Amino acid sequence: MTIDLPFIWIAFKEIIKALPITLILTIVPLLVGFLIGIIVALVRIYKTRFVYQAANGYVSFFRGTPIIMHIMVIYYGIPLLVDQVASKFNLNIQSSKIPIILFVLTALSLAAGAYLSEIIRSGIISVSTGQLESAYSVGMTKIQAMFRIVLPQALAQSVPNFTNIFIGFLHTSSIAFLVSEKELTGAANIVASTNLKFLEAFIAAGIIYWGLTIIVEGISFLLEKRVTSYSRGGVS
Amino acid sequence: MIILKDIKKSFNKSQVLRGINLKINRGEVVTILGPSGSGKTTLLRCLNFLERPEAGIVQIGNIQVNAKNATKKDMLSVRKQSAMVFQHYNLFAHKTVIENVMEGLVVVKKVKKREARIESEKVLEKVGLSDKLHFYPSQLSGGQQQRVGIARALALNPEVILFDEPTSALDPELVGEVLSVIKEIAQDGITMVVVTHEMSFAKEVSDRVLFMDGGVIVEEGTPLEIFHAPKEERTRRFLHRISGESFFTALKEQVN
Repeated sequence: MTIDLPFIWIAFKEIIKALPITLILTIVPLLVGFLIGIIVALVRIYKTRFVYQAANGYVSFFRGTPIIMHIMVIYYGIPLLVDQVASKFNLNIQSSKIPIILFVLTALSLAAGAYLSEIIRSGIISVSTGQLESAYSVGMTKIQAMFRIVLPQALAQSVPNFTNIFIGFLHTSSIAFLVSEKELTGAANIVASTNLKFLEAFIAAGIIYWGLTIIVEGISFLLEKRVTSYSRGGVS
Repeated sequence: MIILKDIKKSFNKSQVLRGINLKINRGEVVTILGPSGSGKTTLLRCLNFLERPEAGIVQIGNIQVNAKNATKKDMLSVRKQSAMVFQHYNLFAHKTVIENVMEGLVVVKKVKKREARIESEKVLEKVGLSDKLHFYPSQLSGGQQQRVGIARALALNPEVILFDEPTSALDPELVGEVLSVIKEIAQDGITMVVVTHEMSFAKEVSDRVLFMDGGVIVEEGTPLEIFHAPKEERTRRFLHRISGESFFTALKEQVN
């Protein structure tokens, strides 16, 4: 077997058409997960009654099981549930009409929420309690102090961790090809098997992933410099 | 006016405050002295409910709260009557000097941003930081940071400013600039309660000095009474211990 170098470029052009799907599968779960993460982190920090145990269980489960399993369970489980409910209440909903991408987005969002909540929680804890006390001493409420003083610093300090998660989820989105979602890896698989050029197709996909990661790292570097400028000391 | 009635507080079963009664008049400057562990910082923190006393009554201005059944709202309204200057400054790290001072005005007192800015600039000028408005705390020396802390408290125009060892974390050569700012605002007639280890400062600035030990106020009086004619043995011993050094320098001066 020889390697067909020019075909890498042909494959590249074909595979990159799937880039929007990969970006959707990365960005949407992270945005939804960010909201879940903030809420879960606050619940766990304030030990809010009734929901505290649920939040602990959620984080423990989703961080303790592989993401591929979340996708599979939701992909096979939700349709079953939907059909059961629909037949029971005579609703005119068919699970087969639900686009597959919704299952994948749900699974990835729940996983992202669990991972992000831990990042946000550690960010919140890292802000000195002294600042919280001084916020209270000027008469701020708990919510004002959290959202105006603590969270902005917690999130700024977490940028490197967010980047890690972003890159992780960019690559994790490739699992979606198992449920025949045509993102980068899925597209590479199709190109590979129709042309019987597996090595070339996956090299092309790898180049795309690597390029994306380099871009993300660059953006993160600039963002980090900007949002943590306050802590750098020295005279500006 | 501040009134404390029978304030009690303990941490893990060890009683830190054993029933403190205190009345502070408007415009009075009160300093609290005492060995470490005597409860002076805890007393200060009970005044604005950063620590919640188990029992007793706290009154600042015309807000009176019984510690036993104080609600969140009660504690908030007491805090709005007071402001605090911390040993470790505790400035908001992500906000500039002027934003630090404006924050309480805008968020708590609901002052319009433009007015808050004018007011904050005025206060910052008073503490000598007009040229540092847009610096972040991390770009300032300890003394400058503490002056921002004082400005932040002053801007709120509270009934009382609580100082928790405001110079204890500073390099010796920076202590002076902070003390002189505090002295200046003391002369403006603002009610102040100061926990400090700076004896000469306490002597100079206070209307009244309290000596605390073992969770009670052992003795109180004018600076003259406390420093030159302490009645209690515990006070005498403490002052002797702490001023050992200055006695020594006085002796040296005599020798020379």
